[in-house]
Amino acid sequence: MTAVVGAAEGPGDLQGSAARWRRRYAVDRIMRWGLPLALLVVLAPLFDMIYWIAVRALPTFTLATLTTDQVGLGGGLYAMIVGSFTLLGLATGFAAAVGIAAGMYTAEYAPPPVARWARVAGNLLAGIPAIVLGYFGYYALVLYTHWGYTTLAGGITLGVFMVPFIYRTADLAFANVPSEQREAALAMGARPGQYLTRVAWPIALPAILSGVFLAMAIGLGETAPLLYTAGWSSTPVAGLFQPTSFLTGAIWNFYDYPATEGSFQALAFQAAFLLLVLVIGLNVVVQAVAERYRRRTRGMRA
Amino acid sequence: MTEPERGGPRGSDPILSVRHLTVRAPNRTILDDVSLDFEDREVAAIIGPSGCGKTTLVRALNRMAEVAPGIRIEGSVRYRGEEIYDPAVNPVLVRQRIGMVFQRPVPFPMSIYENVAFGLRLQGIDEEELDRTVRRSLEQAGLWKELDGDVERSGLTLSGGQQQRLCIARALAVKPRILLMDEPAASLDPTATQRIEELIFDLRKEYAVILVTHNMQQAARVAERTAFFYQGRLIEYSDTHQLFENPREKLTESYVTGRFG
Ligand SMILES: Nc1ncnc2c1ncn2[C@@H]1O[C@H](COP(=O)(O)OP(=O)(O)OP(=O)(O)O)[C@@H](O)[C@H]1O
Ligand SMILES: [Mg+2]
Repeated sequence: MTAVVGAAEGPGDLQGSAARWRRRYAVDRIMRWGLPLALLVVLAPLFDMIYWIAVRALPTFTLATLTTDQVGLGGGLYAMIVGSFTLLGLATGFAAAVGIAAGMYTAEYAPPPVARWARVAGNLLAGIPAIVLGYFGYYALVLYTHWGYTTLAGGITLGVFMVPFIYRTADLAFANVPSEQREAALAMGARPGQYLTRVAWPIALPAILSGVFLAMAIGLGETAPLLYTAGWSSTPVAGLFQPTSFLTGAIWNFYDYPATEGSFQALAFQAAFLLLVLVIGLNVVVQAVAERYRRRTRGMRA
Repeated sequence: MTEPERGGPRGSDPILSVRHLTVRAPNRTILDDVSLDFEDREVAAIIGPSGCGKTTLVRALNRMAEVAPGIRIEGSVRYRGEEIYDPAVNPVLVRQRIGMVFQRPVPFPMSIYENVAFGLRLQGIDEEELDRTVRRSLEQAGLWKELDGDVERSGLTLSGGQQQRLCIARALAVKPRILLMDEPAASLDPTATQRIEELIFDLRKEYAVILVTHNMQQAARVAERTAFFYQGRLIEYSDTHQLFENPREKLTESYVTGRFG
């Protein structure tokens, strides 16, 4: 008697049992329609929100919105734009310098136990609610220093908020450089510092940059670290030790006002719209940088 | 274990002389009391089954072994009479004199030119000299003609065999006296392998080459001397043809005749 191995289930090897086939097909159908539906549920609020903001912001959005100061109940966002970018500049400078240096140390120099704890601490810092950080900034940089509400205090507090994001990507970016590269550089007679600046840095830079831009996008949209530190001012920021207004503050402060034309509430929506555009723009930059990274290191073994 | 053969009939001073070298990992001994000499302007092959310590040996010869965490090294390695494990010796300088090529080519993600210039820039060589040396090193590695002058493209765009020759050019550029090659042809096809072998054959005129290989025909083709390692120990070290045709040790004989490993 000859037995054909694997043919026990039905007429041909290629068909198998009909019931099982139908079951698989059902699962497949759930996957095919269920998964995109889940994605839709994730994305729908985003598009709804963009629409919701756009219809309220765009009718009154003009060039003057970007270029004039706030006057009375209306006017433009100029002071807040300048304020937001000043704060973001200070914060990014601070956070990038500290975050990248700390990431470099963690990935390359720190003894393994130190690196392990540093990573845990970095994650903890990222998890601290922004409002707690804001209150800490208020206590340390507004009260304790006797500065009062200042742009500098706001910038530093926002920077502290952004540091863990940059620190984590920098650490990862350096740690992800293939160890072969390190060995090859050392075998060429490079000192660890030379390896870092000449080999690891150019490999890690695009990833670090996308981390910095991502932190900027997050920082630009934050309110809590600034509420108790930067103060408010209806005119453009006059100095590091002067208070300043900022875009998210416009939403926070003005949203509750009645909706009449040229009102505070319109300003709030215009600020929200502008923030949305800026954040999306920063994310596009992140994507572009990431793509460049893929292209540059294509062909390099991980 | 057999006593290492000293210079023998060649009579010159060894360029590298290894005595009682023992390398330990946290829970085992990788190399056990190894002693042997390497002569200048000769190719020495290191053979032995996988895991016998060949890579560890060459890494211990230019102070790369200690880069891995937990590795302990005892014994002596003298480069032209100078102890490389002397605490006063700078490992960076050791690695410049004793260059290294890895099993898999590792070009840096930069241009071909910058790859070759890498070691020279570390030493602060001026630009004009740089151009000349980069070109000469690429010529020596047999890559210059193939590149057709295009040294600005990324080293990562080269084929595997070309990448390996780029890595050889990079190692040669800093003018080492000794070149350690750890299975440099292991990831290459027969044609590329043959090119590397021809290159090794030429390099002997100027350098001492220490070549780790799994390929006994390769050892027989390019090496004056061959050392056979087994489980971290040097079993036999002699002229290549003697080691293959008339080995003194039973272990060597069974290895070279393919009866194990
Ligand atoms: N850093 C290390 N820590 C612990 N063990 C190690 C380390 N490096 C090597 N070993 C061990 O030492 C032994 C010899 O390794 P080595 O890489 O020198 O072998 P090899 O002869 O080059 O082998 P192959 O022919 O497969 O390349 C192996 O068993 C390996 O697992
Ligand atoms: Mg090996």
